[in-house]
Amino acid sequence: MNIIVCIKQVPDSTQVKVDPKTGTLIRAGVPSILNPYDHFALERALDIKAKTGAKVTLLSMGPNQATAVLRLGLALGADEGVLLSDRAFAGSDTWATSYALATAIKKIGGYDLILCGQMAIDGDTAQTGPGIAYHLNIPQITFCESIDASGNQVVVKKLIEGGHQILEADLPVLVTMTMPPDYVAKYPSFMAAHKAQDKTIHTWTAADIGADPSKLGLNGSPTRVDRIFPPPARAKGEMFSGSAVELANKFVEILKKESVLK
Amino acid sequence: MAKNDLTTRNLMLDSLKQYAKNRISFNFIREHDAKNEIPLDILKEMYDHNILGVHLLLIPEEYGGLGGQTTEIYRICEQLARIDLGIATGVFATFLGSDPLNVGGTPEQKAKWFKKIAHENKLVAYGATEADAGSDLVSLRTRAEHVVKDGKVVGYKITGSKMWISNGGVADIYTVLALAPGGPSWFIVEKGTPGFTQDAHEDKHGIRLSNTAGLSFDEVYVPAENLIGLKEGQGFLQAQAVFGYTRLMVAAFGLGGGEEAVETALEYAGQRIQAGGPLSQKQGFMLKLITPHYVRFEAARAYIDWTAKQLEVNNHGLATEGAIAKLYATESGNKAAEDAIQAMGGFGYTKEFAVEKIKRDVKITCIYEGTSEVLEMTIFRGRWQEHLKSRGQYYLSQAAEFDTIHAQNPNVGADSVALGFRALARVLEDCRANKLTRHQYVTFMLGDLISEMEVAAVFTRECANKRVTEGSRFDIATLSTMARVNARQSAFKTASEGLRLILGTCPTINTAEVSQAVNLVGIEDKMRGLIDDMDTVSAKLREIFKK
Ligand SMILES: Cc1cc2nc3c(=O)[nH]c(=O)nc-3n(C[C@H](O)[C@H](O)[C@H](O)COP(=O)(O)OP(=O)(O)OC[C@H]3O[C@@H](n4cnc5c(N)ncnc54)[C@H](O)[C@@H]3O)c2cc1C
Repeated sequence: MNIIVCIKQVPDSTQVKVDPKTGTLIRAGVPSILNPYDHFALERALDIKAKTGAKVTLLSMGPNQATAVLRLGLALGADEGVLLSDRAFAGSDTWATSYALATAIKKIGGYDLILCGQMAIDGDTAQTGPGIAYHLNIPQITFCESIDASGNQVVVKKLIEGGHQILEADLPVLVTMTMPPDYVAKYPSFMAAHKAQDKTIHTWTAADIGADPSKLGLNGSPTRVDRIFPPPARAKGEMFSGSAVELANKFVEILKKESVLK
Repeated sequence: MAKNDLTTRNLMLDSLKQYAKNRISFNFIREHDAKNEIPLDILKEMYDHNILGVHLLLIPEEYGGLGGQTTEIYRICEQLARIDLGIATGVFATFLGSDPLNVGGTPEQKAKWFKKIAHENKLVAYGATEADAGSDLVSLRTRAEHVVKDGKVVGYKITGSKMWISNGGVADIYTVLALAPGGPSWFIVEKGTPGFTQDAHEDKHGIRLSNTAGLSFDEVYVPAENLIGLKEGQGFLQAQAVFGYTRLMVAAFGLGGGEEAVETALEYAGQRIQAGGPLSQKQGFMLKLITPHYVRFEAARAYIDWTAKQLEVNNHGLATEGAIAKLYATESGNKAAEDAIQAMGGFGYTKEFAVEKIKRDVKITCIYEGTSEVLEMTIFRGRWQEHLKSRGQYYLSQAAEFDTIHAQNPNVGADSVALGFRALARVLEDCRANKLTRHQYVTFMLGDLISEMEVAAVFTRECANKRVTEGSRFDIATLSTMARVNARQSAFKTASEGLRLILGTCPTINTAEVSQAVNLVGIEDKMRGLIDDMDTVSAKLREIFKK
């Protein structure tokens, strides 16, 4: 079985702030990490590898520094990495990005299962995985918390409103993963990190994958981010304490004062 | 070239950070600190190949290790110190204990012991200090007597005791310094060898998560093959050969401990509202208690990293540089931790926050692996020789280098470095001409001034070359501002302290003449813009560490 896991390097969003004046992200001193959903998807691919001996290939689009997340994935046990790096990709929205990734996946070829994180924490769109499935013209299952693959099939547990669905699908299929709240990401040992240096990372340009330049970058992107801004600060609330009766009386008093109650 | 590239190094650091985040909470540390308990499971996990395998860094590749380079080892040491200096010491003791083997061991000895340490995850301890032999190891009393069979030395009987040995009560393998008939020598002694006992764990001021214990040897028999290098009398040489390296690691401890304390204080200051605004917005608060420490940390980082890169080329030696790094970084870290308590006021003084513990912990870095005073003497001796050999030109020629740097890059404080080096050269020369180094105090202080200036020089030069030190969170513009602040202060300290020493010890010297020669006024003139620069650094700190 051949598994391709799409992974993205993102700024650690717990540490990113938005400049309220310019509306841009302040990235100074903010470390980059592997998108946590992708980290989870990658670990699930490695579980399948442990069980079936599948080959796991990592695919990432980004600047050269994104090599770091490929290395992390290789150190955790993936077999090979592909980095799509080219100025032509810069400015791509989720549509152009999924086109580029799908084109690279076609070039890798022979795939059975494509795993993505449900979304990237720097954009929260959850569109790239489904976009890839569209471009490859294969079925997709999104929002999965677990996955098991054997033979020619996958069985997944998909998160839905108020519960879960257990679904089966034939390969090839694209699955996007979301992690349970108690998920603790795995990190490699020092030796594994060291040995990952010997694994191969291919760097491909737009030309290498035979992508149509008009479908990439800003040209190929039908959407634009207009503005980013932090939610307006809410007015400070007032806290009261006391017995239930005291509190109820207090609320009635305030509601009257604010002319909500007459 | 480092065998592990930067990406690999960062992966290792991330793994260590994540491990600590998941397994070593502050409460966990606090409880162990209060109970004076060693988290042996944590050490074992850190040594576990499948979890981290930190110790593999110190073992050469041919014996199943990672053959870590100085840069990654110091960066790991810094990170360990940020987690807990006691745990860091437990890991470091294995590094230290393995060093005599690394430097002096025969290939067979290395194969045997390194493989054991690598694959069986053995903890190692380094046993040098004795009750009467601390800084002064020459007073060593532990003896190793020949055991002769058929006219051949087949082994040794070790008798004596060791004091304050890190991992002393928990290690599996000990490297022990003892006086053999041919001179001081390192021996490998395994736990459980008859006659070898370990004392109870000490009740210490800080690093309470690190086991510290005395060792007793009562005619402990070790085979001759346990003599490191199979040649007697090499002990001090083997110990000294790695001082540059081991002291660099303790320097990283001082840096990591200090950074952790001040970062905690700065984050607190961003949220603590006093007199209408957060403390981090108060200029005096920042300039007195926070900003100067970041300046010194970045200077220390630049110097440690520069020394590490030199060590990777030279392999051993650089004893003076290692001493400078340790003196500067550990004293800076210690002062920073003290100010971190002050910056947090009453909260800083309670055990609710880590700074109080860090303050207790980081003090050890000014004591073990050479006390600050011993380092001052070492630094002084090393550079005094250079001063004499070069007939006073040693620092003057460096001053000229910094004139050139300043001409090309006027924004990194190279002018102040040049002035500071000229002042230093003059102070050393006056000390020589008037025999002032007969005062031990003068030699200590000179060691301190030398370290101050050499660190400032490296920091400024790195900034002039637009090099952001690995692991720094600042951009080159901020680092250059820091280098300017630092160079001015180091030059000022050198000139003013130098004058104090000369005038304080030499009744015959002419005050006006020496003052002019040291050019304190010229150095003071460079202070223009100093407070603006410090404010710029404060603003950057608020931006980076804003929660
Ligand atoms: C927690 C802890 C862990 C340790 N771990 C280890 C270990 O793993 N292995 C090991 O071998 N040792 C270890 N040590 C010992 C440590 O290295 C020594 O404490 C250190 O070298 C200083 O020696 P000392 O304590 O005897 O102090 P002393 O040498 O007695 O120094 C006392 C004071 O006098 C000053 N002084 C010393 N000599 C002179 C001089 N000639 N002139 C003027 N002033 C001087 C010193 O700077 C210091 O201020 C550890 C110590 C501690 C506290």
